[in-house]
Amino acid sequence: MTRVLEVSDVHKYFGGVRAVQGVSLTVREGQVVGLIGPNGSGKSTLLNLIAGVEKPTKGAITLDGQRIDRWPAHRIVGQGIAKTHQIPKPFLAMTCRENVAVAVMFGNHKQRQSAKAFDEAGRVLALVGLERKADMMSSNLTVQERKRLEFARVLGTGARILLLDEIFAGLSPEELRAAIALFTKLQRETGFGAVVVEHVMRAVLTLSERVVVIEEGMKIAEGTANEVVEDPAVIEAYLGVEAARATP
Amino acid sequence: MADAALFVTDLALGLLLGCVFAVIAHGLNLIWGVAKVVNVAHGEFIMLGAYGAYFFNVWFGFNPLLSVPIDAAIGLGVGVIFYFFFLFRELRGKESMGPQSEMVTLVATFGLALVLINLAQALWTGNNVGIPWSPGVVQIGSVQLPLGGLYVAITSVAIIGLSHVFLSKTYLGNAIRAYSQDIPATQLVGINPTSTAAIGTALGFCITMAGGALLTVWLPTGIYPAMGNLYAPISFVIVVLGGPGKMWGSLVGGLTLGVIIDVGQLFVGGSIALATAIGFLILIPVLLFRPEGILR
Repeated sequence: MTRVLEVSDVHKYFGGVRAVQGVSLTVREGQVVGLIGPNGSGKSTLLNLIAGVEKPTKGAITLDGQRIDRWPAHRIVGQGIAKTHQIPKPFLAMTCRENVAVAVMFGNHKQRQSAKAFDEAGRVLALVGLERKADMMSSNLTVQERKRLEFARVLGTGARILLLDEIFAGLSPEELRAAIALFTKLQRETGFGAVVVEHVMRAVLTLSERVVVIEEGMKIAEGTANEVVEDPAVIEAYLGVEAARATP
Repeated sequence: MADAALFVTDLALGLLLGCVFAVIAHGLNLIWGVAKVVNVAHGEFIMLGAYGAYFFNVWFGFNPLLSVPIDAAIGLGVGVIFYFFFLFRELRGKESMGPQSEMVTLVATFGLALVLINLAQALWTGNNVGIPWSPGVVQIGSVQLPLGGLYVAITSVAIIGLSHVFLSKTYLGNAIRAYSQDIPATQLVGINPTSTAAIGTALGFCITMAGGALLTVWLPTGIYPAMGNLYAPISFVIVVLGGPGKMWGSLVGGLTLGVIIDVGQLFVGGSIALATAIGFLILIPVLLFRPEGILR
């Protein structure tokens, strides 16, 4: 059964700050949804709400019809929804293999036999091209390698819906091309669904089947990549009112 | 020639004693690493472990080695209770311990230490007791070693080795290691932080109390309510010597301190108190030149 994640009319207030105000979106297994918006528009907060790191003030998040918005974060991972950190947080005193292995032991897989978990971790590391660093301490990785490890860890949990917070940021054009190709390949092979928060427009527009645009915590547009980039409300949000008027 | 033999004997005794020191320090190191709490009442839990072994001897005639698994099991339970009473409310939902929580737990465990010492004094009087157990000696070359000390040293190394295997080879152990490094990241790989922290803390107490039982072999009349005042600092020194958070650090630190104390006696006229002071003095150059501990 393909899993369906539904976010309906979710709000999150931090004191007087209304970070998310009534956003709804749906992601199915196998489907990539882009989530874009200007800085501070509430994208990361929305991902945190789905991942259970923050609890919504109002609204519901369901997985296959079951409310998950009050669940602790680790339980949500156990049900196949896993998130990357915007700033990678590897377990620094562990090797790359151990980093991914704990995800295999505890995520959706719950592979409690460590030997099998370590094997699976090796396989996942090979997928993201870190096989040669598998037994290196994760503290020795470069920033970009840490991002790949972060991604490997999410894959290691066996998640069916991935929440990816800016995994393509800071890449050179060639690296970006390679990363997009890798992501597409993995997504086709494993058939996971994903919500991709990204500033790198090219990545979002290439990868996403659907794109959701939020501004000041509200959804201002949703559609295919092409529809969204031509939406006047979106152009206004990104470039200001003047630019929106100037666009024919 | 006689001096050389004495030196070798003390060196061997120091190594045997160091193994036991390593266990009590290992317990502290685990609690420190997992719960991020300096357990000021550490010495009192060693004391409880020692009294445990004493009473199992009085009631059932168990020797200290037989008491080790029983003390360890009690330690697990005590650790879980300790976690939920003293740490859970401070750690719940936090990414790390803030200065305020550190203060709270420091004061709380200090209070706990006083309560435990006084309770022990009220229940068991302040008199020294001990466990009469001497399985004999073994002659290796020119060196005579107490068999009790040898058995205890082997048990000690086994306990540290087993905990090492548990932490690196099992899923619970890996969760504990992950938790000790980064609490928010553990949740995002699906680890329940609360149960992991409770299990990790329990493991620390389990090892600490088992260490208390092992220590009694070296204390023919040295079990008394305030004995923790000596063994808590010894544990702290060993953790710092070996390097906090390092799995083999406790063993290296313990052996070092054991040798310093036993061999040191030879140079200060046989005074254990002075030799222990030397052991603590060693801490200063270590902190100055290798603050990360002896191990790399």
